[in-house]
Amino acid sequence: MILKTFHKETKELLRDGRVRLSFIIVILLLGIAVWISAKQYQSINEQHAFATQTDRTLWDNQGEKNPHSAAHFGTYAFKPKYPLSLVDQGVDKYAGTSIFLEAHNRNEAQFSAAADQTGLSRFGDLTPDFILLFIIPLLIILLGYNSFTKEKEMGTLTLLKSQGISSTRWMIGKWLALFLPIFLITAILLLIAGILLSSLDDFGVFNWSSLLGMFLVYIVYYMVFINLVLFISSRVKKSGISLVLSLSLWIVACLAAPKAASNVAESKYPYPTRQEFAAMVSEDKKQGLDGHNPWSEESKLLEEQVLKEYNVDSLHKLPFNFDGYRMQKGEEHEARVYFKHYNYLKDQFEQQSGIYRVLAVISPYLPTRFMSMSIAHTDYASHWDFSDAAENYRIATQKFLNDNFAENSEYGNWGYKADSEFWQELPEFEYAPPELSTIIDKNKSNLLILGGWLFGTFGLLLFNTKKL
Amino acid sequence: MLKYNFKYELKLLLRSRWIQLLSLTLLLLFAFSAYNGKQKVEKRISVINDALLEEEESDVMMLALIDSVNQGLDVSVPRWTVPTSPTAIGNYYPRVASMEVQPLALIATGQSDLFTPYVKPRISGDDFALNFTEMTSPVQLLFGSFDLAFVIVFLLPLLIIAFSYNVLSAEKESGSLRLLASQPIGIQRWLLQKLALRFMWLSLLVVASLTIVFLLLGIEFLSEAGAFFSLLGLTLAYMLFWFALAFLINLWVGTSAKNAVSLLGLWVIFVLLVPSVLNQLGNSLYPIPSRTLMINEMRTKKTEVSKKQDEILDNYLRDHPEYAINDTTETRSFWHRYMASQKLVREELAPVVNTYESQLQRQQDLTKNMQWLSPALTIQESLNSLAGTSSADYDHYRKQVVAFAENWRDHLLPYLYNNQEITMDDIVELPAFQFQKRPVSMTATILPIILLSAGVFILGLIVARNLYKGQKLIHS
Repeated sequence: MILKTFHKETKELLRDGRVRLSFIIVILLLGIAVWISAKQYQSINEQHAFATQTDRTLWDNQGEKNPHSAAHFGTYAFKPKYPLSLVDQGVDKYAGTSIFLEAHNRNEAQFSAAADQTGLSRFGDLTPDFILLFIIPLLIILLGYNSFTKEKEMGTLTLLKSQGISSTRWMIGKWLALFLPIFLITAILLLIAGILLSSLDDFGVFNWSSLLGMFLVYIVYYMVFINLVLFISSRVKKSGISLVLSLSLWIVACLAAPKAASNVAESKYPYPTRQEFAAMVSEDKKQGLDGHNPWSEESKLLEEQVLKEYNVDSLHKLPFNFDGYRMQKGEEHEARVYFKHYNYLKDQFEQQSGIYRVLAVISPYLPTRFMSMSIAHTDYASHWDFSDAAENYRIATQKFLNDNFAENSEYGNWGYKADSEFWQELPEFEYAPPELSTIIDKNKSNLLILGGWLFGTFGLLLFNTKKL
Repeated sequence: MLKYNFKYELKLLLRSRWIQLLSLTLLLLFAFSAYNGKQKVEKRISVINDALLEEEESDVMMLALIDSVNQGLDVSVPRWTVPTSPTAIGNYYPRVASMEVQPLALIATGQSDLFTPYVKPRISGDDFALNFTEMTSPVQLLFGSFDLAFVIVFLLPLLIIAFSYNVLSAEKESGSLRLLASQPIGIQRWLLQKLALRFMWLSLLVVASLTIVFLLLGIEFLSEAGAFFSLLGLTLAYMLFWFALAFLINLWVGTSAKNAVSLLGLWVIFVLLVPSVLNQLGNSLYPIPSRTLMINEMRTKKTEVSKKQDEILDNYLRDHPEYAINDTTETRSFWHRYMASQKLVREELAPVVNTYESQLQRQQDLTKNMQWLSPALTIQESLNSLAGTSSADYDHYRKQVVAFAENWRDHLLPYLYNNQEITMDDIVELPAFQFQKRPVSMTATILPIILLSAGVFILGLIVARNLYKGQKLIHS
């Protein structure tokens, strides 16, 4: 019975002109999207490699210079693009790509792609994730909305009932007929992406298990949609109504809920504006030591402390340059200030994430989106991770430079210049994104919600078939 | 017959639970989205006001400090921030360059979540690195905002589809079409009347809901009647377009389900696919050059320049002999060299920076020309413009800020190079930023959309004539 239903449904789908047309459209779109994204991925990676190297060359060839001037000259951390961003671009477009690492300041990542684009970009890009998240669920609706209603409309339901069919098996047949084409499309797409990525020269952190994880997430997402669409189709009498209802569900889940969640999240746990944030930071900075200002109270205090510690009566007698030492202490104070305020931002975002999780109850789209971005290293948490790594590197660099200044010159000698070879001794900035297992660990709640959706909708469907 | 149709539709309207649900949904959607918009706008306004207030306070402080210095008193601020120096004014007492919030800003978030409502350009900053982006969680930017424009552009067409996809097919399916055929009316005319009546009712509903929501939220829209009517005009024209499509599909396609699929397919094409394809097209045809590479170039230039600062300053002073004449002390400090070098860097990077502007302009022009492929896109852009939050608006604002930054610098530089101190009298003459609104006209959007809808209606009539000619099912 399962097989027969499956055969019949598949044949019917294959015969329907609209279904064929939409299949062709989806595959065409996917092809274009993958092709464009692959090209982008490659060119961005080339630029990234080139820029990182050029910037390092500039740094290495500074010549003789005061270490603190070099600290102000600074370095850049460029955010790499990860292989699976080919499949899901996530928030990459909205997060900056380069962080300027200089003395005294923690800078935000600059130059997000969205800021350089027209308002059109807010509608969305033609990328694989757009198709995977929005268009394929639509395809499911198109394929399945009349799965049961057509039997009612054509009167075949009575015939079938008179045959004494098992409604569960009948349902499974229909379910499989709907699932198979979706499964195939997704599998083929991700397989092509995998082959494409592993054939690229520097596929870096790409591994097949991440891709498989992503595949599973999407498959679960589609199963949820299939269950919902079949449920609606089995409960209403007319195909038109079934279609309109399924579509409303899609709109709520994929468009309305995320937007509403973003509004609620912002009004409940707002981010400070850029200026407010800067004002808070500078207020806190003023409360402590400013490495550039030897006349301030905190400086005098530090002087006393250090003199006492080394048991000398003048800064000139210290075994190091106190200017450099003060610079470093000031830097440490500033780093603490930034740590505090950035943690506040992170807290706000954590709270916002809570809202997204709550609204995931009406939208399977939300946990899927977050999981997929996370696996692709294109979510906000990955961005934080990168930016924190860059900040740690900045702090280490400042120490490296200030120590050189303190150790190799005497107090009051601002004219000190480090050797031209010295700059090469600074270790390079290296960053590796979190492993898949860490990501899964961090996204437990999203997995749980998605699992809840899967079992909930299966339950709904099975419970319902008994009443067919 | 119009009278019967009218009566029937009215009764349907009053009796149908679905329609009552529709009205309620519409009201709720408008209320929720307008409330969201209002919150965002209020935040924007308060941020700007705070900034202006802070500027006022810091100006009072500045005057007090100048006064103290003039009287020969000691001041308690670090010496590089004492406002008698032009660079201290230029860097520590900047002016607020804010983007005025438009009266109907709440209808569309547009790019306002991406960019800050004000910046404070300083003389030592790089104009091209002026950071206009707002501190927002990128997740929020990704999901977008539930604003009125979203309800109008995305959801309203779906409501229209839900209530018009089966006007004709339902009659066919329930068999009452034959009864109708016995009436002295053409099928197209009958359908046209039905849809026109539904359009009228829905329009009334939309206008009433919007008015109620605006009144409830206490939004000043009566004083901005022009903008409010533009909003209504845009919405109604857009609705008309979808009714025209429904008319065409009702006549052309067959069963209710097929109609629904076709209409929803059109919705997906107009609302989702065309915009994202156009976006991709714009990015592929006029790619924005890499910012990463721009940083490289900027850094290389700055390194070159920093190695020959003295030379640059000499050249600069040679080009500006007036400074040498006016200044008797001829002191040259860090700032003299720095500003002269910055000027050079700016000039040399100008071509690179201009490519961003010109590519963005090309993308925008492309959008403008192609937007007619999707009325959804047209309406979204127009709503953004009406709210003053479109890319073009921010572009316009950015250009004004860059011009002002130049003005600010040019005003203070003569003091620097003349080694002249700033006095109380000079403060009054400091330039202030004046925001100029980008002129927009909505008739340029509304009319074409109406014409487009009329075109679709006519197409529907032609289709019907061809389809029903042979059948002679219904005579008028």
